[in-house]
Amino acid sequence: MNIDLTTQPPPSLDTVFAAMADPTRRAILSRLAKGEASVNEIASPFEMSQPAVSKHLKVLERAGLVTRAVDQQRRPARLNAEPMREAVAWLEEFRTFWTGSFDQLDGLLDQLKKDVED
Amino acid sequence: MSDLPVYVLEREFAAPRALVWRTWTEADLLAHWYGPGVETVIHELDVKPGGQWLNEMKMGERSGYQKSVYTEVTPPERLVMLMSTTDEDWALTPNPMMPDWPATLLTVVTFEEAGGTTKMRLEWSPHEASEAEIACFAGAVENLGKGWGAGMEMLEALLLDLQK
Repeated sequence: MNIDLTTQPPPSLDTVFAAMADPTRRAILSRLAKGEASVNEIASPFEMSQPAVSKHLKVLERAGLVTRAVDQQRRPARLNAEPMREAVAWLEEFRTFWTGSFDQLDGLLDQLKKDVED
Repeated sequence: MSDLPVYVLEREFAAPRALVWRTWTEADLLAHWYGPGVETVIHELDVKPGGQWLNEMKMGERSGYQKSVYTEVTPPERLVMLMSTTDEDWALTPNPMMPDWPATLLTVVTFEEAGGTTKMRLEWSPHEASEAEIACFAGAVENLGKGWGAGMEMLEALLLDLQK
């Protein structure tokens, strides 16, 4: 097995959101969405030191968004999208609540206007 | 304070502003539209600075509770309130799904009249929040709101990745 699949409780969505709140880390995720990459490969477009990239990767790993291969020398980082899907579902719920309410408000306003006209 | 993350939703309604205002400030009207697919029970609605809105949302057997305290009321154009998730005794409770979701959101609703229609704008930002709460909300806002152009692209790639 190349990929580290240690079984841990899934990270909370809080950790996922906090990890995604940083623009550099989002850029790293975007890079990894195109395919796995080593720290070196990630660092080059950012003009960032390898230790700095490693630090960001650790935050992403803790959030469960990134896995690192263990027994290869370059230890490529790989994206794990599942936590992000849950996070997005949470956001969607917040938005759905309000847009759904607004739809109902729209209907209510129509009704009220009719009542006034009648 | 100005660097706090803010999430904004806007909507235009084909109704005069005075009418839209009433739907936020009269209990029977508010209960009618607030909360999609749930039965909304308003236990208290006192729309004035310091007054509160105690709201229960019945979802079958379960209920969700929210408390909002008004801090600014300017009819018919602006409502500011502090919205929190509570237990059935109206005591603040952290969200079980997401403990770092801000316990209280500063909610600003503005109504602007434009030729017979009303533009309504809602803004949410964390209120007296911890750093963890602010980071949690910022992650949410940046992914749902302004950063969503690039975010959407990223998500599509991620979803493709998931289906492999």
